Parts: sequence; C-alpha cells; structure tokens
Amino acid sequence: METEGSISAAEASAALAATRSSRARVAWAGYPAWYWLLTGAGLGVLSVALLLPKGWALAAVAVTAGVLVGLAWAASRARGVCEYWTRSAMRWREVVALYGPVAVVLLANAFVARYASWSPFAAAALVFLLFAGTGLLLSARAARR
Amino acid sequence: MSPAHSAEDTTAAAEDGFDHLIHAPARLRICAALEPVREIEFGTLLSVLGLSKSALSKHISMLADAGYVAQRRAVRDTRQRTWLHLTESGRSAYQGHVAALRRIVGDA
Repeated sequence: METEGSISAAEASAALAATRSSRARVAWAGYPAWYWLLTGAGLGVLSVALLLPKGWALAAVAVTAGVLVGLAWAASRARGVCEYWTRSAMRWREVVALYGPVAVVLLANAFVARYASWSPFAAAALVFLLFAGTGLLLSARAARR
Repeated sequence: MSPAHSAEDTTAAAEDGFDHLIHAPARLRICAALEPVREIEFGTLLSVLGLSKSALSKHISMLADAGYVAQRRAVRDTRQRTWLHLTESGRSAYQGHVAALRRIVGDA
C-alpha cells in the first residue's frame, strides 16, 4: 500500500525504529553457534602463539588469520548474508562491544606474558569466553527482536 | 506497479528525499535490511523480516520494478536460490528517505 499525504513525527520516528530493528537483525541474527565458538577459540589461539619461537609464532598467527577468514566466509554462506569486506551491518559501537574487550585482553597479554607463564592460557580462555559469550548473547537478542 | 507509476515515485523522491514507495512498512524494512550488506538470500530475508513468502515476493517485485532492488539467481547445494541487493538508485533513494524521516522527527 502506498502512503499518501504528510506523516507525523511519531510515525516518522516509528519508521526509523523499524529500520534500526531490521538492520540489527541482519547484523546479528542467523549466525550459527559454531561461528562464535570457533572464532572465539581461534582468537584465543593468537594469545598462546606468543609462547612459540618468533618464526613459528608468525606462521601460527598467519594460519589462524586464514582460518578466521574462512570461518567468516562459511558463516556468511550459512546465514545467507553477504557483507562487504570493509563494512558490515554492525554499528561501530557493536563492533567495539564484540572485539574491544578481546583486543584489550590480547594487548594486555602481550605485556604480562613476559612475566607470567600462565598469562597466555588465561588470556586464551578469557578471549574465548568474551567473544563467544558476547556473540551468542547479541545474536540471541537480535533473533528475539 | 506500472513503470509510469514507479517513475512518478522516483521523481517525487528526488524532490525532498521522502519516497512514498519505500515508506510502506514492509518495503522500508526490506530496504533497511538490504542497505548495509552486499546481498541477502531470499529465504534469509524472509526469516529476518517475518513476512510471508508471497508478501515478500510482492514487495520485492514492486521495488524491482522501480529499479531499487536487483535479483541474482544461483544454485547452491543443488537448490536454486535468489540473492537480492539494493541497486545504486535504491540505495540513494533509501538513504534520502531515511534523511527525510530524520528531518521530520527533528523538526517536530
């Protein structure tokens, strides 16, 4: 049905809310649980890679990065949503909520690992929990919208 | 929708950004879902929007007639799937419409 005449501010506001809801559902809904779990594990591996000798560490990071890209591609196929490489349906604050804590833990681990041998393993577990937990939570919330 | 009608809508949209074709609730949500991504599979859009298959098809064909949405068919896992994306004119019409809505909300 076409709309006719002028619309009120309340109607415009409701329309904008509907667009935000649709965008959020596209950004978060439909991700398979394995994507959050495997990507969280992959990011955790990055913190443990510090324990390896320099050359092996670089190789491990490169392989893990390749696996993470592959996981993102497979999840995209499973979801039926093809996003751009440089931008996605997620808002910046959502990207920060998802990757920010992980980045902080990885950076902190890079310093602490020099003094505490347990740090990379604790960081790996924390990164996994933060990423998988946030992803699963926000994904489930978007599906309920 | 006739091509003449869609041309009228597009012309009206160019005046102040408000697009009556896009403003219908289902079509606005379709455009909002398509705008941030490269393309979405028809079945995914169905579950994202919670519309019936026939309603979604009807709205997609209206948007396609206006030149706002394009479709691509591809076979995956032996099944034919339809991928949808906003065209450049569709993207710009949607963004103009959202800007017009923001102006209306801001002016109130």
